[in-house]
Amino acid sequence: MKPVMKIFDILRPLFDEGGKMKPLRCVFDAAENFFFFHNEPTEGAPHLRDPLDIKRFMGMAIIAIAPAALAGVYFFGLRVLAMIAVSYAVGGSIEAAFAIIRKEEITEGFLVTGLIFPLILPPGLPLWMVAVGVAFGVIVGKELFGGTGRNLFNPALLGRAFLFLGYPAAMARDYWMEPGTGPVGRLIQFAGAVDAETVATPLSEAREAIFADTGALMWGNVSGSVGETSALLIAAGGIFLIATRIANWRTVAATLGSFTLLGLFINHLTPADFGPIGWHLLAGGLLFGTFFMATDPVTSPVSDGGKWAYGILIGISTLLIRNLTGWMEGVMFAILLGNIAAPVMDEVALRLRQKRLIKIKLKNWENAVEE
Amino acid sequence: MKFSGGFNISIPGRPSADLERLPEPRELHIPLRTRRFHFSHLEVSQDDHVRQGQVLARDPENFAIPLLSPRRGTVCLNKYEGHITLENIETAEEEPFDPDSRQGHVPHGRWGEGGMKRFQLKEQGVWEFFSDAHTGTLPDPMAQPSGIIVTTLNLEPFTARGDIQLETRLNSFTRGLEHLQSLLEYQPIYLIMPESGSDIAKEISRQVRGYASIRLTTVEPVYPNDSPALLARQIGPSHAPEHPVWALDVAGVLAVDRCLTYSLPSTIRIITVGGPAVSNPRHLMAVAGYPLTSLLEREVSGGHPRVVNGGIFHGETLSNNQQGLDSECRGLTLLEEPGKPTFLGWMRPGAKKKSYSKAFIGNLIPSASNKLETALNGEKRPCIACQYCERVCPVPILPHQIHKDLYRDALEDIERSGTELCIECGLCTYVCPSKIDLRTEIVEARGRLQELQSELEQTDNNAAEE
Repeated sequence: MKPVMKIFDILRPLFDEGGKMKPLRCVFDAAENFFFFHNEPTEGAPHLRDPLDIKRFMGMAIIAIAPAALAGVYFFGLRVLAMIAVSYAVGGSIEAAFAIIRKEEITEGFLVTGLIFPLILPPGLPLWMVAVGVAFGVIVGKELFGGTGRNLFNPALLGRAFLFLGYPAAMARDYWMEPGTGPVGRLIQFAGAVDAETVATPLSEAREAIFADTGALMWGNVSGSVGETSALLIAAGGIFLIATRIANWRTVAATLGSFTLLGLFINHLTPADFGPIGWHLLAGGLLFGTFFMATDPVTSPVSDGGKWAYGILIGISTLLIRNLTGWMEGVMFAILLGNIAAPVMDEVALRLRQKRLIKIKLKNWENAVEE
Repeated sequence: MKFSGGFNISIPGRPSADLERLPEPRELHIPLRTRRFHFSHLEVSQDDHVRQGQVLARDPENFAIPLLSPRRGTVCLNKYEGHITLENIETAEEEPFDPDSRQGHVPHGRWGEGGMKRFQLKEQGVWEFFSDAHTGTLPDPMAQPSGIIVTTLNLEPFTARGDIQLETRLNSFTRGLEHLQSLLEYQPIYLIMPESGSDIAKEISRQVRGYASIRLTTVEPVYPNDSPALLARQIGPSHAPEHPVWALDVAGVLAVDRCLTYSLPSTIRIITVGGPAVSNPRHLMAVAGYPLTSLLEREVSGGHPRVVNGGIFHGETLSNNQQGLDSECRGLTLLEEPGKPTFLGWMRPGAKKKSYSKAFIGNLIPSASNKLETALNGEKRPCIACQYCERVCPVPILPHQIHKDLYRDALEDIERSGTELCIECGLCTYVCPSKIDLRTEIVEARGRLQELQSELEQTDNNAAEE
């Protein structure tokens, strides 16, 4: 600890006023605040502050996603770590560049986006595509709107959508991998073979009315995107986030609830080629998207009522896109659709709330008049 | 009565029930400025010999309330600026109230009994304990309130606890309530008690059962449920300028009793010295002007803690200029200043931290202490819409929405957000993970709206005149 502090103390003059690397000050600050918890004193009342800060907020999200990420390494090999490294490196550099140009601080939002992005991609995807995707996601999905806290779209999803529409064969067909098995899986391998002929994901199999075993879907020994195969680990992480009040339970309840209800209804109508609702819930990226991307506080509605409407929209859209359109995977587009609708939902919820406020103020006035 | 939101920050250092009488000082340094008052109109001069309970100064902006001398002594005006220093202190018998000696100020021959009582309360230093529930300012002693709220709870960490003061003085308290009743014409007195139903609570409810206009109301002991503004809105009598709601705490009711039963002034103050930086947090019996250096020397073992005059949400850091306790002081909270930055501090499991979110191990362990220093605990960041501020807020406003509207300068949107409902409890600022000072922003938004409104009224008036 002391030697690290010393390194920062030695380097600090370079980044101060008149130092040679003054423009890169935000990078120095980000690194220093990463290692040493920033504790400037409060000025005036309230004299104390809650110990939670944004770094820890994002850190909790990373803890929740980590099991799914590690499962991805187990199933699909060390290549996953390379994808994560590329994602952080490219995306992080872009974040830093924008912060330097804007003369602002580097914010922590990217810590989560950088981890989520590789987890929603096919495991064999070439690393240059990962880089291009994350660059698009961060620049267009986040920085163009003003940076952390102001983005309209989830940057990871926007990057994936860009790759999906720009390289459809690569994203939908060419780079799936069979999951590793046994006690070691692919942990000592860089990657398994990608073979468009023999590897099918649960969602593509469903087109031929083959529904993968629920047990396999739970544990994750199916092919699919890097982080979304193990339903159990995703759900565990998601519940952890809800229990620590980092994610809001309403979005999750609304999404999974509306998805289940609509699914049960359609299953009732056409059981043969629709498949059991359990399969629907566990297959594909629904759980990952619901727990970790729909709950992103910045891109989801701010109001509670808005969150219910948002979740219902995502749940229904996912089901409909998956089953009534040519796309196999619906969650990505459904959440992006929800992101677009979120501000409107907030505006409606806000107006209704203001009507309630006016009633409260009127009530006070009535009391005054009675006296 | 039910409230939404609210949060208890359980930090160590809650003052115990011990009440210690401080040793007599050699000098008193009485500040002329307190939180609400500025006793600028002096009524004594250098080297005057004053009696215990004599008027030293008055505040001309606040109905000429007096600053009373807590002891017999000699006045020295030039020792510390902004203070009246009393030397050669002696404790003496207090003289009962003689209204004729105060005649100089306002002719009181025309008043009835009620008016006389109010005059006496004011002159004997009791009016300081009263506040307007909605605004916190000093109410007009001669106005008729629409009700009185008496809170027995003090939930902000840490100021003098009402239950401690009640324990041995239950009869005085009840008598004080009777006196208050006599000031009113059947307007109600609301007695606010915590929901827990302790023995004292049962005893009090037994004693006040006979009184028709004393209404017992219980609230959950969660900050800021003791706020008079919040209580007044919830109870009913609403704010209209001619019929304000008065608010008192236990110390105030006891002072009313002392004044109207025995005709004696109230110069003793019960304060607390509490907080994490105090080894023995407890209550103290002190007087205004008690020298702060000697008081703090006994409490602070080492280091330089931040001394806050009041609690952590509303108190101000004690300035170096203040030499003695001011007459409105309810407690001193001593907080530790931040030490060296911890290595990877934000990643640590946090067994000794509790948060509004449940993101620390300390949240899972009920007995874990909450070691908080006066640190921001993070850097300032943009709002991430986590909704913590909205959930902790006791009134139905959206601090994050006001923050966003202020950022965009969208004053018309702020108008719809109900900023005037804010009671300035400070919880939104406390919980924000992005360390945004929401309370200051809401107050700023309120100020700008009022400016806008007065501007609009001006133009309306100008247009009407044309």
